Parts: sequence; C-alpha cells; structure tokens
Amino acid sequence: MKALCWAGINEVAVEEVPDPTILNRQDAIVRVTASSVCGSDLHLLDGYVPTMMAGDVIGHEFLGEVAEVGPDVRERRVGERVTVCSIIGCGRCRYCRSQMWSLCDNTNPDPGFLEALNGHATAGIFGYSHAMGGFAGSHAEYVRVPYADVNAFPVPDAVPDAGAVFASDAVPTGWMGADMGGVGPGDVVAVWGCGGVGQMAAKAAYLMGAERVIAIDRFPERLAMAAGRVGAEPLNYEETDVLEALKEATGGRGPDVCIEAVGMESHGTGGQYAYDRVKQALRLQTDRGLSLRQAIQACRKGGTVAVLGVFLGFVDKFPMGALMNKGLTLRSGQQHGHRYIPMILDRMAKGEIDASFLLTHPMPLEEGAKGYELFKHKLDGCVRAVFQPARTT
Amino acid sequence: MRLKRDLAVAALAAGGTAVAVRYGRARRRRAARRGAAWYVVTVEADPAELSGTGRPDALAGLSERHEVRISAAPGGRGCEIAVRDADGAARRRLREIKQLLETGEVLRVDDQPEGHRTPVGRVALPVARTLMRRGAR
Repeated sequence: MKALCWAGINEVAVEEVPDPTILNRQDAIVRVTASSVCGSDLHLLDGYVPTMMAGDVIGHEFLGEVAEVGPDVRERRVGERVTVCSIIGCGRCRYCRSQMWSLCDNTNPDPGFLEALNGHATAGIFGYSHAMGGFAGSHAEYVRVPYADVNAFPVPDAVPDAGAVFASDAVPTGWMGADMGGVGPGDVVAVWGCGGVGQMAAKAAYLMGAERVIAIDRFPERLAMAAGRVGAEPLNYEETDVLEALKEATGGRGPDVCIEAVGMESHGTGGQYAYDRVKQALRLQTDRGLSLRQAIQACRKGGTVAVLGVFLGFVDKFPMGALMNKGLTLRSGQQHGHRYIPMILDRMAKGEIDASFLLTHPMPLEEGAKGYELFKHKLDGCVRAVFQPARTT
Repeated sequence: MRLKRDLAVAALAAGGTAVAVRYGRARRRRAARRGAAWYVVTVEADPAELSGTGRPDALAGLSERHEVRISAAPGGRGCEIAVRDADGAARRRLREIKQLLETGEVLRVDDQPEGHRTPVGRVALPVARTLMRRGAR
C-alpha cells in the first residue's frame, strides 16, 4: 500500500510499504478515507521529537471504514464507518476507566524514553514517534487500530467525512480545553491559536455558555475564519498588544479562562521571541513558551489556564510567580478524546457542531509533501490539508 | 616501536578496566547503602487472584527468578506487584503481566508497516526499541 513516511527533518515522502496485519486479537484494520495533517505533526517534521526514524508512517487524525477485525473484537463490524481517536486507550486500566484516556497505562509498549523524561509514560498515539509507542500512522491506505472496540467510533450517516475526520482529534481536543477551563455562562474566554484545535476550543466555549470568546493569531484568514465560522472576536498579535487589548476588553479583569492552543513552537514578536528562538536553536530549552507565558500573564486573578498545545520538555522563564500569586489553576493534557467523541458525533449529526470548514485542502495522499508544505507555511489559506488515501487505490 | 605501542594499549586497557571495576564497586556500595530497590506496578486485580497456586503462570515464572511481593493498593485501586532488584527484562515482563491481567493481551508494535529505513536506522531502531521497552526505574 501507499503511505506517507517521515524521511528526515522537513522531509516526507509517499512510499510503498507493507499492508498492516492484525497483530493482536483486539485489533481492527481500517481502510483510511480521510486523514488530516495536525499542528502537532509539525514538531515531528521540524525535528523537535528525537525518537522519529526515517521510514515511520505519520498521521493520527483520521476516518475510515473497518476492513478487518481480530477474533476478540466484539463491537465493531466490517464495513462500519468509523472515526478513530488519535490517542490509543486500552479501556481497562485505572486511567481509561476514569476517563483519562491519554494517560492509559497499557498502550505504550516502549515507555522508557517518556519515563526517563517525564517520570511516567503516557498513552500510545498513532504515527507520533517511537516515544509514543511507535504505532504506524494514518496517512496510509490502511491502518491497524489496537483495542478497536474502544478506539474506533461509529459515525452517524448524517455527518459528512469532512466534519467527522476532525472528531478524531481537533474537536475533542478543543472541547477538552474549554472543559478543563470550566467554562460557564457569562465567561470571557481567550484562545491562543486559530488552527483547527483553537477554533474548536472557541466553539466549545460558546456551546458551554461563554459570553465572549477572543481568538488570538497573526494570520488574517484564520482570524477571519474564527470570526465568521465560530463567532469569536479576532485579535491579531502582530498589530495589537495582546495583554493591553485583553485587559481593555474585559474591564481590566482579564479573561476568566485562557486556552493555549499553540504549543512548543510558539511564534511571537519582539525580544522575547528572539530570545526563545536562540535558546531553542542552541538546545538550551526544548520548547518555546511565548503564548503560554502570555496566557498566564493575561488570565484574571483566580482564573484557569488550559494548555492544549503540545509541549515536549522544558520551557524557560516560566512565570511561576504570576501563576502562584494570582491563584491560577493550570490544567493540561493530551486529549482524553474517548470521553467526548460520542457526544461530539451526536452534536455533529444534530448540526450543533460543524468542523468541515477547517478542511481547506482536500488532496490525494500522493500530494502529502505538498499538503504539509502548504500547512506548515500557511500558504494558500491552508488551515487543514486532508488526504484521501482510499481514493488512490 | 611496536612493543611500545602494545604496552601503551595494554596500559590503557588496564586503566580502563580498573576505572570500570572501581565504578562498579562504587555503584554496588551506593546500592547497598540505599537498600534493595523494588520496581512496582499497580494492577486492576484482586490481590487474592495473584497469590497462591492459582496465580497466573507469567507471574509464577517471574517469581522463580525474582523476589515478588503482592499487596493491596490503597483506595481500592487494585493491587501492587513489586519485584526486587528488577533488571530491564524483569521490568518489561512485569508490564506485560499488567497488560495481560488488565486487557487480556500484550500489545505488539513490531511488524508494522514502515517505509525505507536508512542503514543507521536499521541498526538503531531495534536497539532503541529494546532500551525503551526496558523502561526506566
């Protein structure tokens, strides 16, 4: 089959690879009909995740059709249309049973790197390096899905592929940000980053009752999309002082909930950005924390900062004083998608959530390298390139 | 000339060995001061199921080579399986036992689709996988 493989830093290539097979009795093989690029893939491309190897199949946000099931799969059926959570859970460990699926104890068989770095390993993720389990990714015609009964979710007929693919990651991740923030009626919410996750966090905040959502980015087309499709108030950080603007917009209080949807390669302006770039380039810090620092600085006293952006290791100049003295709550995590996906698919079927507008560039898998080029450099208004591998057969 | 070189190599080898031996002794002394280390995992299981003759074969096998302690986890969180002085293989085996008890299978990630590996990657990947699979203490 064809698959899009990581070939080196900023290099991906479509290659002919062996078809996946059932390796465990609870596996399914899914024929991939849509597989999206994700902002977190850019950390792999840019070489910030050290356990990537040339030849690794990437991609983790996908939709498909069940092609084969292992003998111990009870719920899923061949031919079912499913969205698969990017995070792999076992469904039986204490964490999965407590709905903290991304902390699953059993789906990362190679935990040494994360245990040494973080103290503990977290769940496996499709196509996201050997530190995250080394699972082959979804930018391929077929993908193997472990514990298929708990990781693959049937998609209602009323939900088109263009929206359902984002129920795999962008929508539940965004939803989790608003959920962690405890967003409620009357809240003012600020979201850093207007990619797919940030826009879905803004949407979730409104659905939870937020009165105002302020979306922060620097790309006019993304800000316009967040305003036009989600109803957020756009704030361009290249044109405005974010901290001043947020204070002004909230009567001096600051946002009740700040959602960081940018992560370890945060962009910015001024001396702080230059400082972060130099330190990261010299490997004196692994992650750039501009948007995280700003979210903590901006948040109202006693408010909550929810971190959705992916961080790998260490952030320099972390404003612990602001966090402590303002009595903030800091919450974060990879998405516990299984907790939200059935509800999200139900809301999609009812028309309450539409994520299909994020799909700006549908393309065949053969154009994978071009898709990542458009996505990485935000060319041609690209918010999400989505590959359609099954159509290449 | 050749003799001088051989002597130099021998001296270096001897020096290296001496350093390694001293390092090993120091490590053992530090370990002895700390006392024996236990590697522990918490499993969603009843401690009674994991003791006595009815315990799973994999756990019985581990007990033949290592001292194993089973105790109830606080707060009704199943039970704790502790292995004394667990090396990398024992840590991997213990995690596999946890997987088997909780999910009924040991998750495999070998033999998956992969593209072209570089010569370095072909050598490095199995080594990296082996090291990561051992886990950290």
